[in-house]
Amino acid sequence: MRPLSAQRSVAGKATLIIGLVLLAIQFVAIIFAPWIAPYSPETADPINALQEPSLIHFFGTDVSGMDIFSRVIFATRINLLISVTAVAIAFVIGVPLGLAIGYYKGWGSSLAMRFFDFIQSFPVFVLGMVLVSVMGQEIWNVAIVLAVLFTPVFARLIRAEVLSLRDRPFIAAARCSGATDSAIMFQHILPNALTPAIVQISISIGMAILLTAGLSFVGAGVRMPTPEWGLMVSNGAQQMILGIWWVALFPGLAIVFSVLTFALLGDAAKQLFDPQTRSSS
Amino acid sequence: MTNTNEPLLEVRNISVGFSDRSMPPALQEVSFSLKKGEILGIVGETGAGKSLLARAIIDMLPGDGCIVDGEIRVNGHAISTMTPQQRRGYRGGEVALIGTNAKSLLDPVVKVGEQIARVLRAHRGINKKDAWQESIRLFEQVGIVNPEKRAHAYPHELSGGMAQRVVIAMALIAQPKILLADDATLGLDATIQLQVLDLLVEKGRELGLAVVLITHDLGMVASYCDRVGIMKAGRLVELTTIRSFLNDGPQHPYSRELLEAARVRPLPMDGQPAQPGAEAAPLLEVTNLVKLFHVEGSTEPVRAVDHVSLTIRKGETLALVGESGSGKTTTGQCLVRLLQSDSGSIRFDGQETLTLSDKQFRNVRRRMQMVFQEPYVALNPRWRVRDLVAEPLKLGAPLTRAAKQARVLELLDLVGISRAKADVYPHELTAGEQKRVGVARALAVNPDFVIFDEPTTALDIRVRAQIIDLVRDLQKRMGLSALFITHDLNSVRSLAHYVAVMRHGKIIEQGPTEEIFANPKEAYTRKLLEAELPIEVREEAPMRAPQAELRA
Repeated sequence: MRPLSAQRSVAGKATLIIGLVLLAIQFVAIIFAPWIAPYSPETADPINALQEPSLIHFFGTDVSGMDIFSRVIFATRINLLISVTAVAIAFVIGVPLGLAIGYYKGWGSSLAMRFFDFIQSFPVFVLGMVLVSVMGQEIWNVAIVLAVLFTPVFARLIRAEVLSLRDRPFIAAARCSGATDSAIMFQHILPNALTPAIVQISISIGMAILLTAGLSFVGAGVRMPTPEWGLMVSNGAQQMILGIWWVALFPGLAIVFSVLTFALLGDAAKQLFDPQTRSSS
Repeated sequence: MTNTNEPLLEVRNISVGFSDRSMPPALQEVSFSLKKGEILGIVGETGAGKSLLARAIIDMLPGDGCIVDGEIRVNGHAISTMTPQQRRGYRGGEVALIGTNAKSLLDPVVKVGEQIARVLRAHRGINKKDAWQESIRLFEQVGIVNPEKRAHAYPHELSGGMAQRVVIAMALIAQPKILLADDATLGLDATIQLQVLDLLVEKGRELGLAVVLITHDLGMVASYCDRVGIMKAGRLVELTTIRSFLNDGPQHPYSRELLEAARVRPLPMDGQPAQPGAEAAPLLEVTNLVKLFHVEGSTEPVRAVDHVSLTIRKGETLALVGESGSGKTTTGQCLVRLLQSDSGSIRFDGQETLTLSDKQFRNVRRRMQMVFQEPYVALNPRWRVRDLVAEPLKLGAPLTRAAKQARVLELLDLVGISRAKADVYPHELTAGEQKRVGVARALAVNPDFVIFDEPTTALDIRVRAQIIDLVRDLQKRMGLSALFITHDLNSVRSLAHYVAVMRHGKIIEQGPTEEIFANPKEAYTRKLLEAELPIEVREEAPMRAPQAELRA
């Protein structure tokens, strides 16, 4: 058994390192965007519209002549900001909610679960489009929409853990030692229930990036001229049939790159947190 | 056929190692031989290599383990020279292994009769109908009451004892010559354990099998085996007849230590109740306590605790004994209000507790603590020992950080855990240490009354003796009043002043410990006492007279 778990943990570490390197590249892009990007991301230059990739415009220019390379770099800020914010909100609300729903059984928790079913049974895009069009196409609104979508995910994960933990003998022992309900929930159950939710953070960020891009693509996300990957792909898609491939391709690759990063990190977290691999250490 | 003088099984100097060569071999130079009809008991503590030995004999070593030295011969043939084909016939054919927890060995979605019938068809090539008939006959042979009906049952519908019988029946189908029982009765109630062992040994003698009983219960070995082998750290340190082991005393110092630890501690218990007689005020007075469980699909609730009444005075210890499902633990949980009682009264130091609010009950909690059954699962795996022991302190007066730390160290000293272990996590402790942490938690706020739920179960022989010593010491030094919930009758004798016997939620008999042990009035109590296997040489027939089936 030991060699197998050792192998898995080595694989987990390799995945983690690759994921962290990719993440670091994105951090560099976020922090140093103004210095890396040769042009302003939102300045149109109609004379130089639809230029092919060259040494002057690495990724070419779009229909209004904006430098795609600069926009892809700056969009890292927007996309990650939206995704991380959305997942952070979902985590902060979903975890205590799941804890309470799992710990206190009753009509309240049943009602909450049915409400989650309601949210999750909607097609994501329909719900996203409805909410964004009601609230307005602002960056923060997109983040809130995603947070609404992800909160049930975290709440459910935590609830499932809590349900199996709440009847464990150490909880009864804690109660005999005078632990109050909140002490049992936050000091005893939560630390033992958090692992799957932590793994889920990374996976959700990846999904949030895709959804942000997707919402923008269908026109329910942020608006021009904000540099955002999905929006850029959407703009480029119209020119694709004319053989102008670069407008859509590069932001598309950026999406792949970013989603891959968080998928890898999530995978690594899963392997490193796996009790079977961890017990050998 | 085998010559009767020739050993059926010969284990010659085997060592078993794993691919990790930096570790010493898991088994080292183990040798013994076994004749037809002989029963050998292998005894050792956790990690001594007992199970590995059984796996080596049946040629099913786990992982990348292999026999690095020595050989195993069956009927004069070395296993190592067999072809893969022969080996397959050998496993389960000539040698059968019966493990712990029979239910997990049965397929949960197939009727047990069908499972037996399948093995029969595979081994004897008979048709479906005959196989079914034969399996019912086998059920009868292994003492399953109402075999026709039982054959249609699924494994989860059988009790642990029944499932073990099914597994024994299955093991006997291929007519093995050697039977290995690896802790086959672990976790079964004493009376059931007795029935299963009787069956196993009876079949072994009847069919002339060589039987190896692997266990950590010396009483079992004394009652059923011809010879005993003591294992320690992968070595067979002693191998002798049971008679000379018990009469002349073990030769190896470790065997001596083990035997001494396993024997009932000096009895009767030397601590006297503080003030015998009725004039002392009762500390805990339970009257007609009832706890019902509502079962889905049934209108009739289960009476888990049915009009239980008991009284414990200051400095006294009462033992609540009974088999699993008798309601002992439920009673304990009602006392500390982990479960809400349905009716009756629990008076603690004169105060009725059932009517208290949860907040008011906190005062009672400080004075009434509980030590939980399974040592590991009762400790939060993510807390350090220091924090675990400190947790109950918040029930008492607020303490400064320093005072808290000092109290924790004091408690660790009290229960005999090295102070260096204060910062480790529960999984880094041994089972005995985990149990001690549980005791330290219960004692943290100087309670007047402690409930010990199965304090000696699932512990190795020496650890069990240490825990008994610890509890005795606490009783004497602190004048602790206690309720013991246990099915380990040996420990009751050395720990409790009074005994109450519970069955089906009712207390059927109670009185002073020695009186109950010497002169039990109820047939059920007698049965429980008989099921305890004493560690002494049996002078009568080598085999126990099979006990009458115990019907609920």
